[in-house]
Amino acid sequence: MARTLRRLTPAQGALPILVLWVLPLAASMLMLLPAIAEPDAWRQLQSHPQLWSALVLSLATGGGASVLALLMSVLVLAGLDRSRALPQLQALAAAGLALPHLAFAIGFGFLIMPTGLIARLIEGGATPPPWVTVQDSWGLSLMLALALKELPFLLIAALAALARGDGTGHLTQERRVAASLGHGAGSVWLRVVLPQLLPSLRWPLVIVFVYGATVVDMALVLGPTQPPTLAVVIWHALNHADAAVNGMGLAMTLLLTSVLAALVATTLLLLQVTLPRLRHWLCAGPSLLAAPRGMAVVTGTMAGLLMLAAILLLALLSVTPRWPYPALMPPAVTFAAWTTLGSSAAPLWLSLLLAATTALAALGLALLWFETQPEGRDRWLIGLALATLALPQLAVAGGQYRLFLGLGLTGTLPGLFLAHLTPVAAYVLIILQGPYRAFDSRYMMVARSLSVPASTAWLRVKLSLLRAPVLTAAAIGFAVSMAQFVPAQLVAAGRYSTLPMEAVTLSAGGNRPLTAAFALCLAAPPLAAFLAASLLGRPRWR
Amino acid sequence: MALSLEEVSIRLDGHTLIKPFTMRLEKGVIVTLMGPSGSGKSTLLSFIAGDLTAPFTATGDVTLDGRNLDGLPPEKRRIGRLFQDDLLFPHMSVAENLLFGMPRGEQQARHAAMTAALAEAGLAGFAERPPQTLSGGQRARVALLRSLLASPGAMLLDEPFNKLDADLRAGLRDFVFRHIAARDIPCLMVTHDRADVPPGGRLLLLGRGEVRDA
Repeated sequence: MARTLRRLTPAQGALPILVLWVLPLAASMLMLLPAIAEPDAWRQLQSHPQLWSALVLSLATGGGASVLALLMSVLVLAGLDRSRALPQLQALAAAGLALPHLAFAIGFGFLIMPTGLIARLIEGGATPPPWVTVQDSWGLSLMLALALKELPFLLIAALAALARGDGTGHLTQERRVAASLGHGAGSVWLRVVLPQLLPSLRWPLVIVFVYGATVVDMALVLGPTQPPTLAVVIWHALNHADAAVNGMGLAMTLLLTSVLAALVATTLLLLQVTLPRLRHWLCAGPSLLAAPRGMAVVTGTMAGLLMLAAILLLALLSVTPRWPYPALMPPAVTFAAWTTLGSSAAPLWLSLLLAATTALAALGLALLWFETQPEGRDRWLIGLALATLALPQLAVAGGQYRLFLGLGLTGTLPGLFLAHLTPVAAYVLIILQGPYRAFDSRYMMVARSLSVPASTAWLRVKLSLLRAPVLTAAAIGFAVSMAQFVPAQLVAAGRYSTLPMEAVTLSAGGNRPLTAAFALCLAAPPLAAFLAASLLGRPRWR
Repeated sequence: MALSLEEVSIRLDGHTLIKPFTMRLEKGVIVTLMGPSGSGKSTLLSFIAGDLTAPFTATGDVTLDGRNLDGLPPEKRRIGRLFQDDLLFPHMSVAENLLFGMPRGEQQARHAAMTAALAEAGLAGFAERPPQTLSGGQRARVALLRSLLASPGAMLLDEPFNKLDADLRAGLRDFVFRHIAARDIPCLMVTHDRADVPPGGRLLLLGRGEVRDA
C-alpha cells in the first residue's frame, strides 16, 4: 500500500475524498439555499402555531443539557485530577461515547417512566406514582438524558486536551509549581488547568449544544409533544407527503440553523468580553481549596450507573413480555421478541453493513489524504469536518435529501452509503488528524535506512505506532454510522430500513420487548467495536 | 529557619535508591547535591516538597523550622521550587504569575510588592507582558521572583540553570544566589554542573545510594 501511496500524486490522493465526501457535502449545503427564496414556505412557517414555542423548547433543552454536561464534566475532572482512577474514567467515557443516543434514550425512558424501574425501587405501592417524566412538557427528561449522554463526549475531549497539555506542555509540572506556591488541588485546577483547558473545549461544546438543540430521534422518544421541539416539527414537515410542507420544513431548518449560529456567536462574544474581567481572581493569592473528590465520585458514579442501568434494563425488558407494576423482577422470561427480531433481521444486517463499509471507507479516505497531502492543507478539510458536526444534522441531511433526489440516489444503497459516510468521515478525520500529523517521520527514515522496503516500514512502523488512534477512529466511525437516523430515514425513502429507524418506529408503539430488543441490537455493536479497539490498541508498555 | 532531614531514605520498587541519611540546612545557606542521573536527586526534592509519586516511596522526617512536614500536602509546606523549565503559566501575564502565589492581602500592597520586585530585577515595565515574549533569562528570573514572593520557608532548586545558554548561566546564578541569600532561607540545589556550586558553598555527593560531603 505504501508503495502505491508513494506513487500517487497529491491530486490523485485527494480525489477520492473530494468526490465521495467534500463534493456531496458542499452540494448538500448549497441545495438548502433555494429554500431561502421560497416565499410560500416562509409564509407557511410564520403561520405555524407552534413555531416559537417549539423553538424556545429546542434552545432550552439543548442549552440546558450543554450547561449541565459541562458542569458535570468540570466537576468530575477537577475532582479526579491526577487520580489513579483516570484511566478507568477514560475507558468508561469511551464506552459511554459508543452507546448510541437513541438506544440510551429508549432505555432511559423505561427507567424513569412512572411504571419504570426507578419508580418500582423508590415508590413501590399498588399503583404507579403520578409522575410526568417521559415526554414531560418542559423537556426535562430529554434535557437530562442529553446531558448524561454528552458527558462522556466532553470528558473524552477534555482528557485528550489534558493529555496533550501534559505531553507537549508542562501541565503536570505547572501543577507542582502551583502547589509549591500554596495552592490546594481545587484551586490549582480552577486557576491553572481550567483556563488552559477551556479553549480546546470550545468546539466540543458548540457540537454538543447544536446536537442537543436539533436532535430528532431522542426527542421523538423522550421529548415533549404539545408542542414538540422544533427539530421534531421540522422532522414531521420533511417527511410530509405534501411538497409545500417539505419546503416549510427546509425554511424552518434554515431558521433554526441561523438562530443557533447567532446564539453561538453571541455567547462566544459575551465570553470574550466577560472572561478578562475574571482575571483578577486568577491571581488573588493562594487558596487551599481542595479538589471536589467526593462530589466528583458521586457525579461520575451516578452518571455511569444510569447509563449501565438503561442498558441492563433493555436486556431485561427484551425477554419480559409482561411485567406487572410493583414487581422488582419480571415474573417470567421468554425469548419471543428475539425470535421476532431474528425473523426480521434485515435492518440489523443493513446497519452493520453500512457501519462496517463507511468506517473502513472513511479510514481509507483519511489515510490517503494524510499520506499524500502536505499538513497545511488539513486546515480546510478539518474545518469542513467540524462544520459538518457543528451544523444541525437536519440541515445537512435536508440538503442531502434534495441533492440525492435530483441524482436518483434516494432509496438506493449507494445513496445510503454516502449519507452515512458524511458524518462518519468527519469524525474519523478529526480524530486521526492530530495523532497522524504528530507522528515523528524520522522513525520511517530510520526504518528505510535499515533497508526495509517502504511498504513494510509503513505497516510495521508507522501503522503499528499509530494503531491506537487508527482503531479508535474506526470504532467511532462505526458507532457514528450505527446511530444515524435523520439522514438514513430521509435517503432510504421507505425502501430500506436501518436499526435506528426500526427502533424509533417501535418506541412509538406498545411492544416493549421488541423495542428493547432492537434498542439493544443498536447498542451492542458499537460497544463491541469500542471494546475491540481498546483491547487491540492497548500499548505494549505503559 | 532551618530545614532538617532525619534518617531520610528513598526506595524504588523495593530496592534502596538513597540510604538513610541526616542533614541540616541552616538559613541563608545553599547546599548543592550532585550525583549521576537516576541516582534519585530529583526524587529527594519531590519527597521534601511533598509530591513524591509512585513507584517511589520514602521514609524519614522532614522538618522546617521545627515543624514536622510529614503528611502535609505540597501547598501547606511553604517550600518553593525551581525546575529546569521556568514553568511560567502561559495563560497569565508576568504580573499575574507573580501575584499568583503572593499571600492574600490588600490589593495595592500586593501590586506594589510585585512592581518593586520586577524593578529590582531589572524587569520594570514587563508586568503586563505575556511570558512567551520574554527571553529565557528573563523568564528564569521571573520564575525565581514568583517563588520568592510566595514567602517560602525554604527553596529547592532542580537543575535550574540546565536549559540556559552558557553565557546566561553565570548571571542567573548570581541573581538566584543573591536573592535567596537576601531572604535568609535554607536552599537545597541539585545539579550536574560543578560550576553551579556557589563559591564557598557546601557540596554533597550522592553515589551508590550514599550522601556524603565532597
